[in-house]
Amino acid sequence: MKRMAAIILLLLVPVLVRAQNDDWWNSDPSYVVPIDAAAVTADRPMRDIGIQETKLDTIALRDNIALSIADVLTFNSSVFVKQYGRGSLSTIAFRGTSASHTQVSWNGMKINSPMLGMTDFSMIPSYFIDDASLLHGSSSLSMSGGGLGGAVVLATEPADYKGLGMQAVQGIGSFGTFDEFLRVTWSNDHWQTSTRAVYTSSRNDFTYRNYNKKVDGQYPIDTNRCGAIKDFHILQEVYYNTGHGDRFGMNAWYMSSTRGVPMLSVDYRGNQSYINQQGENTLRSVLSWDHERRSWKLHAKAGYNGTRQAYDFIRDKGNGQMVQMVESRSRINTIYGQTEAEFFLPGNWMLTAQLAAYQHFVQSTDRNATVRTGAVIDGNTKKVAIGYDQARFEVLSYVSAKWQPGPRLGLSASLREELYGYSFTPLIPAVYADYLLSRKGNVRLKASASRNFRFPTLNDLYFMPGGNPDLKPEKGLSYDAGVSFATAKTDSYSLEGEVTWFDSFIDDWIVWIPTFKGYWTPRNVKQVHAYGIETKAGGFYQFNKDWQLHLNGSFSWTPSINNGDPTDWADEAIGKQLVYVPLLSSSVNGSLAFRSWKLTYKWCYYSERFTTSDNDIKSKIGRVLPYFMNDIVLEKRFVTAPAEISLKLAVNNIFNEEYESVLNRPMPGRNFEFFLELRPNFRRK
Amino acid sequence: MKTLKTLLTAVLALTIALLPSCMKYGPSEEEEFNVDPSGDGLFIINEGNYMYGNASLSYYDPATKHVENEVFFRANGFKLGDVAQSMTMADGIGWLVVNNSGVIFGIDPATFKEKRRLTGFTSPRYLHMLSPTKAYVTQIWDPRVFVVNPVTCETTGYVTTDMDYESGSTEMMVAYGKYIITNCWSYQNRILKIDTSTDTVVQSLVVGIQPESMAMDCNGKLWVLTDGGYEDSEYGYEAARLLRIDPDSFRIEQTFYFPDGAVASKLTVNSEGDELYWLDTGVWKMPVDAAHLPVRPFISRDGSLFYGLTVNPVNGEIYVSDAVDFVQSGVVLRYSPDGELIDTFNVGINPGNFCWR
Repeated sequence: MKRMAAIILLLLVPVLVRAQNDDWWNSDPSYVVPIDAAAVTADRPMRDIGIQETKLDTIALRDNIALSIADVLTFNSSVFVKQYGRGSLSTIAFRGTSASHTQVSWNGMKINSPMLGMTDFSMIPSYFIDDASLLHGSSSLSMSGGGLGGAVVLATEPADYKGLGMQAVQGIGSFGTFDEFLRVTWSNDHWQTSTRAVYTSSRNDFTYRNYNKKVDGQYPIDTNRCGAIKDFHILQEVYYNTGHGDRFGMNAWYMSSTRGVPMLSVDYRGNQSYINQQGENTLRSVLSWDHERRSWKLHAKAGYNGTRQAYDFIRDKGNGQMVQMVESRSRINTIYGQTEAEFFLPGNWMLTAQLAAYQHFVQSTDRNATVRTGAVIDGNTKKVAIGYDQARFEVLSYVSAKWQPGPRLGLSASLREELYGYSFTPLIPAVYADYLLSRKGNVRLKASASRNFRFPTLNDLYFMPGGNPDLKPEKGLSYDAGVSFATAKTDSYSLEGEVTWFDSFIDDWIVWIPTFKGYWTPRNVKQVHAYGIETKAGGFYQFNKDWQLHLNGSFSWTPSINNGDPTDWADEAIGKQLVYVPLLSSSVNGSLAFRSWKLTYKWCYYSERFTTSDNDIKSKIGRVLPYFMNDIVLEKRFVTAPAEISLKLAVNNIFNEEYESVLNRPMPGRNFEFFLELRPNFRRK
Repeated sequence: MKTLKTLLTAVLALTIALLPSCMKYGPSEEEEFNVDPSGDGLFIINEGNYMYGNASLSYYDPATKHVENEVFFRANGFKLGDVAQSMTMADGIGWLVVNNSGVIFGIDPATFKEKRRLTGFTSPRYLHMLSPTKAYVTQIWDPRVFVVNPVTCETTGYVTTDMDYESGSTEMMVAYGKYIITNCWSYQNRILKIDTSTDTVVQSLVVGIQPESMAMDCNGKLWVLTDGGYEDSEYGYEAARLLRIDPDSFRIEQTFYFPDGAVASKLTVNSEGDELYWLDTGVWKMPVDAAHLPVRPFISRDGSLFYGLTVNPVNGEIYVSDAVDFVQSGVVLRYSPDGELIDTFNVGINPGNFCWR
């Protein structure tokens, strides 16, 4: 309790913060960055009236190439990052909701799986994202409906460096891990191109003391079997800027991934050869046109998102012959189009209208079965595929009006209407307001309220077996209010912070439950009351021209309570915290720069995640205990005439903690990775 | 500025103080149990949740109405595993089949300590002991029945079938002379008769979509309950059935059709073998010589989600488990043979099967 009080105290203390630009080709080796007071305390733009947003700064996104967006969020936000293992599925949940309540966009296009509703953030390399922000609660409605918890907005940006540039990074780490990254950019006054590629491979065969098994009376040292990773990503971007307010863009991101699916720590099937792996090939591409005039803007986008996923379980029959026991396949094709217009009217009005359409085509086969019609062993047979083939058309429409009646007050209202297949959501209204309480310290009050709806996914509706076409959409009602501040002194310090209270009610929460016939089916079963407090704070402190401290932290208290009716006479779940929603989560990230040296410390904390709906803490087998995680990075930068070179050593889990993010999924102990980065100086005369 | 420096120093100090973790993962102490070997004793096999690895074993003493939960973990200091499917008593050892962990533990039924361990399976469901040195282990999504030696803990062979690896399945086993009859459940529609002297399938019989459970009555007749599959399945869907089969001729003698939408499961017999019991929302009972299915349940309880069923072979008391919402401790309800509630007690998650000591 004392420790918890200390954490709360620590995170409520306003520390520092500031956004930082990506120093792409830097001729100065120093990690000390200038502090610009005007940038920190600038008035918020009209489009952000009442918005609760967490922006991930470039320092976090460019920490190292081995990191995914899931890793970055773990140490730079207080959203819950649920990791099924190292290099395994990682999902994000806000404000006491679930992963499917987080909407995710990449360059404007929603990338949540239409089958599952969620996004695997372990598949998004942080070096492929230039601009990332979290929209909490009602604020997510500016992007999409369905984000009952919030939204993650990911985007790439044109490199603003003129001429030719190149960045190459090689990482070598524990468990046979190799990370290679290459980026080449070229730009002039009109054209900007960028090509990025990353290849990650890892045996991922870490060892751990397995307290869930015994061999000869002892807890064995087990190996994370079947966890090997081979991921390749390539991202091509081309932008053309007319110089007269028009910009055309093309972004295409191809990913090919083969990942083992590590066994549970209670699995005993490791004594024979087997392959348990998933493969994914995905192409995401977006064409864009941005047309900007003094009093209005028009944005148009068209895109495609195609995914092929495979899951295979192949094993030795016991005689050296391998047989396929599971062969599941899915194909998702999504075509996307969107237009958005913004108008700035006299009297400090801003109007926005947005119309987006998605056409999904999904084919999913989970298993092949043999129908046998004969009465004898050699009877008539035919093969049938167990799965579904469905398409869904979705239309998302949105209008908003923002008004700033005076220098201190901002008001905003929006309406959203969405179509899923043949069903319209009811109107989704939202209102936002903020008020500048004090210019000194830039103290601003913010508040918002909204309805929200999330439609069932295609798996919810059609999965074979178990899909339930009678599911209702989940309905949400949320409010939040908070206060933020920002203060800074140029080349001395900057401080920013925010505290937000939120309260939301979600009805008809969809939960998959087993049936008597051995499969699972989704039902609308829960009413949930999720509420709590989010805080974040951060900034910089510059001791002198050589020394600089950067700290930021976040903390969330998120009760997420099952307020439904009992499902059974013996139901003890009412009034209890939802499964796998931590009550407390926190992260702190600090770095100390001395000229061309930098030491970064990353820390995160999650309280216990209950695995039972009655929050049983008497059980000795079903608890996922609280954990702190500590990583450290030391880096040194050299600038020579031909190139800038930096060396980086990352030590993860420095205290070699034994922990689980998900029950019975092993996580690695202390591990290392070394990075060498090279940026040739093509401007050299 | 001085205040700011003090503040930053305090923050740094606090951060450093909080760096170490509060992990509690580590060895677990083994508890000593020694239950009274006289009288009845009921093991409750709690499946847990698929891919959670939270299966557990509970033990209930009907005489004292005392229940102990998580006894496997507490006695052995390690977890039972992922999806405990069944338990069979044979030769003084309780054989616990843990499906998605691919393991079978043989435990002492008095101390709950592990005595044997069988591995090498793909997805084991049930174990049937044929002799002290030979047992059959059925699998789901593997067409083979494994032949194992429980003494040496080795797989000695397989009973092969004509099913394939993606959808082949064998489940419960019922002995009839030198034969074992097993039901092929998931995406199947037959029962198979296996000659245990040659370990070969000698007969098969199409009984209906997904034969889920079986029981042998006092007249030596085999009863099979099919669940009919699920709606819109490419494999097919039909109403559940209850069939009486002559195990000698391997022919269907009588078929009872359940109404559409029935979710019948967990067929079992009473101690005398003259009454059948099954679950279909409530507990149903039918004499083996009945001409029609009963029209109302023997035990019904609003707001209950009955999940497992057994009848005490000594006194005919009925035990039915309630899975509640499938993600919390289940409950077992104990009824007299007349259907009077005697006791209720909490067990583990998803109590799906029982085993009498």
